[in-house]
Amino acid sequence: MNESSFVQFSILTIVILLVGFYGGTYLLTLLIRKKEEDTSGFMVAGHNVGFGMGAASMTATWIWAASFYAAATSGYTYGVSGPIHYGLWGALMILFIYPFGRRFRKLAPNGHTLGELIHARHGSSSQLILAGSNILGSVISLMVNFTAAGALVSVLSPLSFQTGVLVAGVGVLSYTLTSGFRASVFTDFAQLVALMAITVVIIPAVLFAVGGPSEMVAGLQNLTSEQADFFSVDAIMNQGAPFFVAVLAYAIGNQTISQRLFAVREKHIKRTFVTATLGYGAIVIGLGMIGLMALTVGVEPVNGNMNNLIPQMVSAYLPPVFVGLFFVLVIGALSSTADSDLSALSTIVMADIYGKNIAKDNPNPKTMLLIGRATMIVATVAGLIFASFSLDILVMLVFVGALWGAIVFPVIISCYWDRVSNAAFTWSVVIAMAFFCIARFELLEMTGVTVLFFEVLASVGGAVVFGLMAFGFFGRNVGLIVGVVSGAILLVYATGFLRDYMVLTASLTAYGASAIVCTAMTLRNKERFDFDLIKQRVGSYDAPADEDENEPTMIPEGAHS
Amino acid sequence: MSELVYGTYILVWPALTLGVLAVICGAVIKDAVQARKSNNNVV
Repeated sequence: MNESSFVQFSILTIVILLVGFYGGTYLLTLLIRKKEEDTSGFMVAGHNVGFGMGAASMTATWIWAASFYAAATSGYTYGVSGPIHYGLWGALMILFIYPFGRRFRKLAPNGHTLGELIHARHGSSSQLILAGSNILGSVISLMVNFTAAGALVSVLSPLSFQTGVLVAGVGVLSYTLTSGFRASVFTDFAQLVALMAITVVIIPAVLFAVGGPSEMVAGLQNLTSEQADFFSVDAIMNQGAPFFVAVLAYAIGNQTISQRLFAVREKHIKRTFVTATLGYGAIVIGLGMIGLMALTVGVEPVNGNMNNLIPQMVSAYLPPVFVGLFFVLVIGALSSTADSDLSALSTIVMADIYGKNIAKDNPNPKTMLLIGRATMIVATVAGLIFASFSLDILVMLVFVGALWGAIVFPVIISCYWDRVSNAAFTWSVVIAMAFFCIARFELLEMTGVTVLFFEVLASVGGAVVFGLMAFGFFGRNVGLIVGVVSGAILLVYATGFLRDYMVLTASLTAYGASAIVCTAMTLRNKERFDFDLIKQRVGSYDAPADEDENEPTMIPEGAHS
Repeated sequence: MSELVYGTYILVWPALTLGVLAVICGAVIKDAVQARKSNNNVV
């Protein structure tokens, strides 16, 4: 099979599909448009998103274009367990954050970003570390999604890569600009319904088109023993474990998640996130199965590019209408994530940068909204430029992932332990990043005591991940026990072993080093923080209805303390 | 037997997707009805 084997749409067809998708989405947002948007609605939909919309939005946001391609790649590379080792851990990122999300919401019921909470807890330096990592992550995400749109349009039609990038950027911006987060959530629902409906149809369609389960079973002989093994060590160590390490980091470091934690009605947080976990897992693992099917029937990806697997399978085995549905599926997935990234970026700049650091908690709501919309335009232009240049983002991704890993422990523990100081937070992140760089880029010779030192740090990091997960669901005592026991097991079995997986070791080092430094500095600190202050310091930026709209907003009591 | 296992392993995901879709749509319809009663937007 070669590139000409892909179904090719005419320019007219592709234009109809794109205009239909983005035009329809834009028209949908007219249904919820308000004459005058307020900052709370623009940033978190007034903290009043219901269960259904919340679950749909969380699911749609967490599924981006790369989710399908990476899950299919995992299925093709690692065989039977491959789709699970991509989709399951991605789904658990949503699940594991909700217990902490409830704590964030309890501490700051009127919050808009996690950075605001950290600002109220520690001050600007900690907040800006978090906000900076959020911004980098969202800009990268925007760029990746626009790139995916360009690639898809160029593969399936005569239109150029740049045209696809431009249409996606302008399309997403057009429907998000006016109503912000409210538009993002509302359109996420429509996009998710389309995405799920297409998923439900397309997976069985491909399965039976390749000959059904019998053909798959017959094709199992094409698999290596590792690929045929559901408990493949290769799949666990190279796909599952690195993803598992990232579970908490991505959930904490990504404003699109915390924005929804602050937006959903507090009583619905648990079922919203549990439903989104199931929805994400089902869709992504299901589409990953197309990669497994490709492996069993002996399909080779065009040009060796794994991203071609799903479009190839759909093109090869299904009528063109399914290729059209697949096109809508990918455009819907990338647009729902891109609009969430635009909302996340605008909210961070509005609340964390302008509200807290420029206006010093005394912002003008109209100026704030203007800044939010300007941020969306600037972010879209930046995303389009970066995407058009097809930049290599691997190094950026590595740094952002490590930064998120380094902030997990300080962020979470700052919300529970009243002795954690700003210095403990900041220094733990800085030192963890330094150790991460040494391990990831092997700046020291990784032999003897040096590599053992990093294996110990990584083992502590592993214990931190397990311990925090247990802590979130079962409380402090269980968390401590799980952390200590898993740490002991890792110290025994992982030292001497982890050195063969330096990428994983480096990621775990970020967790371990930040936890050790943060804990050590906190134990030396005798001052205690009153958590009730957070509620007072994080308030609404909107002026009450009876006040002059042009006056700066009412500041919650204690905001300047 | 293998065919049944593999068929189920692949088809359980679209089935689960359909279930979640039904739950989400049901909840949104409920929210939309309540929002209309109180003359508000659903978000």
